[in-house]
Amino acid sequence: MKSMEKTQGKIGIKEFVAIILLTVGTKLSDNTPNILYEDIANAAWLSIFLICLIWLIPLVLLIKLNTLYKDKNLIEIIQHLFGKYLGFAILFICWFMQTYVMFYNSVIYPDIIKTMYFNNTPLLVIALVLMAVTSFGAMKGLESIGSTAWITLIVIKISLIMVLVITFLQGEMDFIYPLLGEGGWKLIKESYNNSSIFTEFLYIFFIASSIKNTKVFTKGLWIGYIFVSIEFILALVGYVMIFDYYGIRLLDYPYHETIRYIQLGFLTNVELFFFPFWIVASFIRLSFYLYLSALLFGALFKIKQFQYIVPTLATISVFLGLIPQSITFSIDYLREIFLQIITPFVLSLPLILWITAKLKGELKK
Amino acid sequence: MMTLKYLAQVLCLLFIIPLLSACWDQTSIDQRAYVVALGIGKSENENQIQVTFLITNPELSKKEATTNEPSQEIISFAANDVIVARNIANSVIAKEISYNLLSAIVVSEEFAKEDRFLRYMYDLAKEPQIKRNIPIIVTKEKARGFLENNRPLLESRIHKYFDLILNSANEAGLIPKSDLNSYFRITEADADLFLATYGTSEISQDGKDSVEDNFIAGKMDIQGETNQVQLMGSAVFKEGIMIGTLTGEETRIAILLNDILNNMGPIYTTYQDPFNEKYKVTARIQTEKKIDVKMDLKSDQPSINVSIPIYMDIMTQHSMVDYANDSQKRETLQRSIEEEITNKINNLIKKTQEEYKGEPFGWSVLARKQFTTITEYENFDWMKSYPDIKINISVNVSFGNFGEQSILPDFEEVRD
Repeated sequence: MKSMEKTQGKIGIKEFVAIILLTVGTKLSDNTPNILYEDIANAAWLSIFLICLIWLIPLVLLIKLNTLYKDKNLIEIIQHLFGKYLGFAILFICWFMQTYVMFYNSVIYPDIIKTMYFNNTPLLVIALVLMAVTSFGAMKGLESIGSTAWITLIVIKISLIMVLVITFLQGEMDFIYPLLGEGGWKLIKESYNNSSIFTEFLYIFFIASSIKNTKVFTKGLWIGYIFVSIEFILALVGYVMIFDYYGIRLLDYPYHETIRYIQLGFLTNVELFFFPFWIVASFIRLSFYLYLSALLFGALFKIKQFQYIVPTLATISVFLGLIPQSITFSIDYLREIFLQIITPFVLSLPLILWITAKLKGELKK
Repeated sequence: MMTLKYLAQVLCLLFIIPLLSACWDQTSIDQRAYVVALGIGKSENENQIQVTFLITNPELSKKEATTNEPSQEIISFAANDVIVARNIANSVIAKEISYNLLSAIVVSEEFAKEDRFLRYMYDLAKEPQIKRNIPIIVTKEKARGFLENNRPLLESRIHKYFDLILNSANEAGLIPKSDLNSYFRITEADADLFLATYGTSEISQDGKDSVEDNFIAGKMDIQGETNQVQLMGSAVFKEGIMIGTLTGEETRIAILLNDILNNMGPIYTTYQDPFNEKYKVTARIQTEKKIDVKMDLKSDQPSINVSIPIYMDIMTQHSMVDYANDSQKRETLQRSIEEEITNKINNLIKKTQEEYKGEPFGWSVLARKQFTTITEYENFDWMKSYPDIKINISVNVSFGNFGEQSILPDFEEVRD
């Protein structure tokens, strides 16, 4: 019992890695690949590789800061380094970005479910059910999200690995040529523009103080980072292997088209083996998003019991989600612009933080 | 302990919620009419198509008491597209029409050759219940006629029939593996020709060619009491529209040359016996190794060198020449077969270069390796360039066994 008390409110490496894998990893099965394919066609997998490289510098800097301020998480570091007003402004931007991301996810996921699986069910009902479950998860706090993520992680990842294996067996490797897709320069440019699809790696520093200790945090971060990158690359190669360089650009949700296409021997409608796991992963992912959003809101306005904001945020996002017409397109467009706008901010924030710390002479301590 | 309790609650909710949200889309099995084959053909009205549904009767289970209901039902009507057709059909069919068990899309040749065909095919991509792995069959007659004449005697459960026959004919290499996804893929990439299964239920006697598999569906003279439907050969599509047909043998060669299509099992076929004009040798071919395609596209005269390794067992030969023990005779046989196969391949390539101006061998995919960016590849314009490419074929036959009983008595001696 003694050890339990000690870890109260904190999560271990297993739960932490599980959260990373489910929040970032699940992106390969929504419309994120679509954004990459649209610009750089079959070279999308190379672009993930480049994005990984781009992210190395901010991550190393953030880890340095995190080890320096052992008992602080990124919220407190920002407030400490930038002072009251600038700190507030930056945190507000972070909160806004996170809430925006949560908002469009609360639209796009019901849209996937409606267009691919339940055509007759009203979108509002799907969105309400989805947000009700996720806000329940988010209100329970990080510990619950972490342990649910860890428990379901293995089956979810097994189902994903199965999909990938079948895809690689039934697809055609030669479809990934011409290797550079739309060309080298465009590849680099679009990789940079879209590199904010890994923004979660910045945001998990906001929960750094809820992880057992800094060592565990750093280790978990690298494990998750490497795993997610490999997984992403394999999935992007896999989709191209089925749909070819031209066709892949025409699809809205490649993962779901893939699980509807692949065949498992005599079984028909194989997607029903994979859909339940995908939906559980989506619940956990959205729960974590809601939690982050509430956490930042709480930090901004000094609300200790920030869990109670969750239902409000969830309700708002459901109703905001009803505004755009023909979701698949409008949201896609909004998201692309959003990614391009936030990229410079997301990538430069760690650098600015690190420079400020250095100027203040705190790095030498 | 509290965490555990919460955890249990979350998990319970997670598993119940997906069930709840499905209420709107729930229909029980006995309230659905499952379309097994969807026929699309030309309608009298220019903006409509003739849609044919082959609906299976799911009650036909062996365990339950058999009813007098027939095992299938066919309806045909004019509709704007296949999506709206599901609703229209309900003026006749009491149950909700479902495409969930769809296992074949049957298109009439007449309609496939029309310009507007591609438009109607993309309707299939939009209908959520139709998946992209459903095979396409092109029929010589109207789709309705094909489905009406299709009465397989041994598979009264029609939903299995299409899977089974397409699989076995595909393994024999007589028809290509052709699903909706590859139709879209090849049409979109705009470089290769797409091959679809060709079938018919009309037996025509004109110009019957008795040579092995060198004919298309409808020319095979099958006697006895059986299903009239034959699947053989392939329909050739260029830019989404049908432009011609390939015979069973040509389809086999196309599959042999195409690494993407190739999932042939062992094939049995015959070749001319070099020692006696009158007889043929029967061989079993196995394509284990990938064919080797070398391309040189950057020079002024682009060329492709294809070398095809063929592993072959000689099953029987009526000339009774003793190939098994005579290496020289074996070599003669080998050269003769190589020449025969090379000729057949060259004839097909000539046909694709001169008549169809495109190839169904999936070579454009291999050609992509020569380019680093899509722009470069698209500028090369594979379909335009293909007819002028010089293609060299070399076939290497290697023999395995010479039948189970490899040594035969001397024919003259036995007669004596």
